[in-house]
Amino acid sequence: MDAAIFAQGITKSFRTGFFKPRKEVLRGVDLEVAPGAIFGILGPNGAGKTTFLSILATLLRADAGQARVLGLDVAQDAGRLRERVNLASSGAHFLWCLTVEENLKFYGRLYGLGGRALTSKVDELLELFELTPHRRVKFERLSTGLKQRLALAKALINTPELLFLDEPTSGLDPEMARHIREEILRLNRDAGLTILLTTHNLREAEMLCGEVAFLKDGRLAARGTMPQLQERLGLGDRLSLFFKDGPAPLDYDRLPGVLTRNTEGNRVDLRVDRVEERLAPILKAVSQSPGQLLRVRVREVDLDEIYHEITH
Amino acid sequence: MRLPTDCHKIWAFAARSALVNRRNVFAVFEMLFWPGVAIFSVGLLTRFLKLDPETVTFILIGAVSMNTIQIAQLDLSYALLYSVWAKSLKHEFMAPVKLTHILAGSGLVGLIRGFLVFVVMGMMSVWLFDMDLTRPGAWGLGIFLLGMFLNAAVIGALVLALVLSFGQRAEVAAWAFSYLMLLLCGLYYPVSVLPPGVRELAQLIPLTYFLEYFRHFYGFPLESAHPLIYGFSQSLVYLGLCYALVHHTLKAALKRGTLLRLSD
Repeated sequence: MDAAIFAQGITKSFRTGFFKPRKEVLRGVDLEVAPGAIFGILGPNGAGKTTFLSILATLLRADAGQARVLGLDVAQDAGRLRERVNLASSGAHFLWCLTVEENLKFYGRLYGLGGRALTSKVDELLELFELTPHRRVKFERLSTGLKQRLALAKALINTPELLFLDEPTSGLDPEMARHIREEILRLNRDAGLTILLTTHNLREAEMLCGEVAFLKDGRLAARGTMPQLQERLGLGDRLSLFFKDGPAPLDYDRLPGVLTRNTEGNRVDLRVDRVEERLAPILKAVSQSPGQLLRVRVREVDLDEIYHEITH
Repeated sequence: MRLPTDCHKIWAFAARSALVNRRNVFAVFEMLFWPGVAIFSVGLLTRFLKLDPETVTFILIGAVSMNTIQIAQLDLSYALLYSVWAKSLKHEFMAPVKLTHILAGSGLVGLIRGFLVFVVMGMMSVWLFDMDLTRPGAWGLGIFLLGMFLNAAVIGALVLALVLSFGQRAEVAAWAFSYLMLLLCGLYYPVSVLPPGVRELAQLIPLTYFLEYFRHFYGFPLESAHPLIYGFSQSLVYLGLCYALVHHTLKAALKRGTLLRLSD
């Protein structure tokens, strides 16, 4: 199956002023995203996430490299591609004096909708994002959460096949952010929408994305699913064993799946490659040794650790 | 070109312009207050100077033209400024729209507003200062109006290019361009009174020829043999150049990231 997004050797630099050197933001980024996936692009500020997303979304031209979205070249076929994709970004901005409904109708018309098709699409989106009670409220009077919902509704006005989300929950309160995330998952599940999102929020990436890529200094530092990244970086889950009178006399390094060991007082901290598989044999070995085990604590590797490992 | 789809896209910009104007109290000032002040001040000046009816018409038609062009170009100039002010520019260009949709949609509202200003100012001039607006006939009036709208379109397109390059700082250009053009084209005086050098510049402005054409109905001599040919051909050339300039600026904006910067 053809990739929904295919990018190869994307580079981009910006002029920072007269007689000043250009600032390289992207330095040869390659990426492939399968159709129907939710793919996250992570990275610190200035890593080039938004620049990369904007190139794929036809809002910016790359200096070099090739990018195809839904089989269309982002530079040569931008017009045709724009009919099939859409974008929502953080800090939703729309014309302040138009109402929610008027803003949606404006964008609907830009995508060639009119008459009953436009009215029914707008009604459907107002209903979907629970904006119907606010349809006649001007944009400037909406709360941040409602503005963000309108941004998502606008992003679906043309029934896109692929959605670009640039920090979709940034600035939202936790409840609204959760609501938006559920909506994103539902869109992906029910409509089969391919979603490419950038985020700072690692929990969000864990919750939403099947696969993530890390950008650092304009380069793709790593990509993959959580287990793939964990394996590649040699990051294990943490298993802490708490003993009553000192650790059991065992050769912990030889236990199955143990990557590293650290002993501190009555506690032994192990890094294990796959804790769900290794926990039972390790506990069996401990139980057969003289030490008295009081408590066990398991902490799986999270994206925080992966992020830290990659970006530092 | 898919006509119904393109019509919806054009209508999107027209409807947005119309809604913004309807909700903006200053739009009323733009359309009634300032044109009204202009007609009163210029009209009273002609009365004080005890000018003959032809000269009164010569001067008043200048005031009418200035305000008609100013208003007609505004919607076109503001087409992207609205998006810059709202920081929504990237969403507009994320949609499959072409420059022609923006120009046609916003230009349509500008044309209607410009026409209304022309009618209101024309009626005030006739009623208050005995200006004879009917002498050129419907054909003459129609050609003059068309000429003014073409000039407004040139100014509007130039401002669009500036907005895409410099953002909202370009707002001032929307006014500055039209004032500069109106100063040079002999708004309240024949271009023959302009100093040498400036007079040649006036000949590069299409409105010079349309004003000359309109005023010749009132007995003022034509300074060029075929004012309409010069006026229309210059207008079309400038429009084509401006369209190419806006197109080029948009491409440059996509390279430089201006669309994103103006949406932050």
